[in-house]
Amino acid sequence: MIAGGIRERIPPFTRGKMAKKEGAKYFFVGPGIIWVLLFTLFPLVYSLRLSFFRARLGMGQQFIWLENYGRAFTDYRFWSVLQVTVFFVVCDVALTVLLGLGLALLFHRAMRGQRFFRSIFTMPIFTAPIALGYLGLTIFHEEVGAVNTVLRALGLLHLPAWFSNPWLARIAITMVDIWQWTPFCFLVLLAGLQSLPAEVYEAAVLDTSSGWAMFRHITLPLLLPVLFTVTILRVVETFKILDIPFSLTSGGPGMATQTYSFYIYLTGLRNFNAGYASALAYLLLIVMMAISLFFFRRLRQIYE
Amino acid sequence: MKKLGIIVALVAISLIAVQSLSAQLISGFPAANEREAQTALAAFEEADKGKPDPAWQGEKFTIGVYSAGQRGAISGPLYFWRNKFEELTGASYDIVEIPFAELREKIFTDLQTGAGRYDVIINCSNYYGDYIANNWILPIDKYFNDPRMPKWDRASIAPAVANLMKWGDRWYGTNNDHDAQVLYYRKDIINSPKWQAEFKKAKGHDMPVKMDTWEDVLEICDFFNGKDWNGDGKPDHGITLHLRVGGQGFFHFMAISAPYVVIPFPGDPPTKVTRYHNVYWFDPVTMDPLINSPGHVRALEMLIKLSKTGSPAMWGWSLGEAWADFLSGKAVMTFSWGDVGSLAEDPTQSVIMGKLGARGIPGTKAPYDLQQKKFLNLAKPNMVGNQVGCSWHPVISKYAKNPDLCYYFMAWQATAPINHWNVYMGWTGVDPGTTYDWFPPYGKATVQDYVDGGYNADDAKAFIGAFQDNFYNYKIFQNYLRIPGAPEMDEIWDVHLSEAITGQVSPKVALDRTYQDWVRIVADYGKSKLLKLYQESIGYKP
Repeated sequence: MIAGGIRERIPPFTRGKMAKKEGAKYFFVGPGIIWVLLFTLFPLVYSLRLSFFRARLGMGQQFIWLENYGRAFTDYRFWSVLQVTVFFVVCDVALTVLLGLGLALLFHRAMRGQRFFRSIFTMPIFTAPIALGYLGLTIFHEEVGAVNTVLRALGLLHLPAWFSNPWLARIAITMVDIWQWTPFCFLVLLAGLQSLPAEVYEAAVLDTSSGWAMFRHITLPLLLPVLFTVTILRVVETFKILDIPFSLTSGGPGMATQTYSFYIYLTGLRNFNAGYASALAYLLLIVMMAISLFFFRRLRQIYE
Repeated sequence: MKKLGIIVALVAISLIAVQSLSAQLISGFPAANEREAQTALAAFEEADKGKPDPAWQGEKFTIGVYSAGQRGAISGPLYFWRNKFEELTGASYDIVEIPFAELREKIFTDLQTGAGRYDVIINCSNYYGDYIANNWILPIDKYFNDPRMPKWDRASIAPAVANLMKWGDRWYGTNNDHDAQVLYYRKDIINSPKWQAEFKKAKGHDMPVKMDTWEDVLEICDFFNGKDWNGDGKPDHGITLHLRVGGQGFFHFMAISAPYVVIPFPGDPPTKVTRYHNVYWFDPVTMDPLINSPGHVRALEMLIKLSKTGSPAMWGWSLGEAWADFLSGKAVMTFSWGDVGSLAEDPTQSVIMGKLGARGIPGTKAPYDLQQKKFLNLAKPNMVGNQVGCSWHPVISKYAKNPDLCYYFMAWQATAPINHWNVYMGWTGVDPGTTYDWFPPYGKATVQDYVDGGYNADDAKAFIGAFQDNFYNYKIFQNYLRIPGAPEMDEIWDVHLSEAITGQVSPKVALDRTYQDWVRIVADYGKSKLLKLYQESIGYKP
């Protein structure tokens, strides 16, 4: 009624202009909507549908209810890749966030060459993970890699078998991943530090001269939302880790570095079992959503 | 000044790029040297050329091939012969290289979606099950009498490999590569009186230089491993293998396990396939996997013991690294494909020219009898020939835009002069397998042919002799798995073998896991459908 009332008061000439404007809006927003429908919603819905089917390459499709989901829980590879992925999530996220925070604190002060070092530290983030994986090969290669060459020169007799020992292979991947992702944490946390109000610190200086006390009681609580955000982004990203194990270890030795996304890739794209791969992907989505909800609820609790 | 520096740098980069892009052309070939070009030219002139259809002028097709580069195995010859193909037909082709790990997904996706990106696929023979089940490739029989097409000799191919290019009575692939694994060793070291004396001192008996069994091989490798037998002041290796996941290591296990698992039919002929004889993969009656049979388990235990007589790094090695260890004179033996035999003659990659010994894959005196459910104790070793590997060869996609032109190319490459040239040039990765590669009485090649190709005469005799033995002198043969899902089965097998080799699980557990996965894959594809295809593919008659 109100809208109609206003409309009646608008002269016809202006109304035509507005309609044109409305049309223009749809013209500009339309492609975006189509893009989202085609490339986000359609695959999402289609893969959900596939997850209820036995769908293998060239073999037609057969509706099997929740069989694909049930199968995951009895598939030892599912549990193996889940364990490997959780290992990477725990180690990589903890170390990248801690190192990123350390670097951010280091650079959050006036120092010479700060811009230069900041640029250098952020370089790995612009490298494709698959390329970093191959670069990792040249570093950790057991015969001619940089690490073992140095260790050999230092007189070490039993050189680490980076690609043959399951734990060392995981450590090699963790190191490459940390190398790539620490700069991300560093950049975001540095931005967070720089946005903290200076007055709080000025007031705190009157009460204490301890840097640790200021960090613990002022910086950390104020930085907590940023830390939460960085952590959740890293958790989500690390759950999807695929490129580095793919290029560095091919998931080996055995399945020691085969991650959840790697398994989905193998199941869906190499072995063309689209139904089971979709179910695995949805299980991952559920886990990610649960973790994200937990994080954000926790954050809200802290601030309420 | 800064500007000048940038210009100089750009010019330098351009020069380097131009230099690296422009291949050296000798007699129209991107050849490494004059001899290579002249021998290729002779082969080109000798090869049948058919009567290329003038309508092909200006046409182009695409070949999908496993990625190894312009001078690499299997993809290399495609680059090498392209100019001559253009000269002959006025047509050309693009080469799309695909990393080995992504090859199957790229090709199958192309065929499944009907995108038709690849007209010709240089494929691994274990893809046939999926091809045939989905009707993805074209039979080529209709071209055999087509006057436009070059003639190639199908009867010249070793029967075991020729079968890989066919399904039933129909031909789908043309002659190219012929894979099998043989045992290569350093004859100068194994035959050295000094080392034989030391071996006797250490082990209390003569060195079993014939290496008829894997047990003999293990004893020799164990003796040499860690000793400085090449005199470079550093400890050297017994054996070298490629055992990295995705590094084709399961082919090693395929070769080593055959004599532990496959036994001859006790009647006539010994090659007759029964439920218990001449079978390796599945029970041909129930389609139950045999992969965790006691014979397979014992073979895996042997592979693990062997893997401990070389560089510990080889558990993470791919093909090239394992070969390099042998070719650079650091390992006393390896078992692998024909590439090693020909690469040993390439002075840019090998220091062992003139020192190469080779023999067919060893056997065992204790194979497992599936019928009696016990290990046998034979006086003579059970020897089993193999066709382990991909035997890479071209097939035509059903989506090919110009199948006639595609076949022309394939047939021309399959002609005896060109195929034989590819075989004796080591870098091509094309392995021997035809009568014109063999010495009499199996074929018509001469040692001089190989010497002309740059081989040491004794090396050629040993290398080709080992392959002849494998294809013609072994009483029985390990059959090839060509059912739908075979590549998936190989992949999961590879993973579990790696688990066992790196000590994460026992050999029995690794093969039990493989068994479980194979049962699942068979169920997914349909047991009765696979059983029928499996029986057909191994020649089992219910």
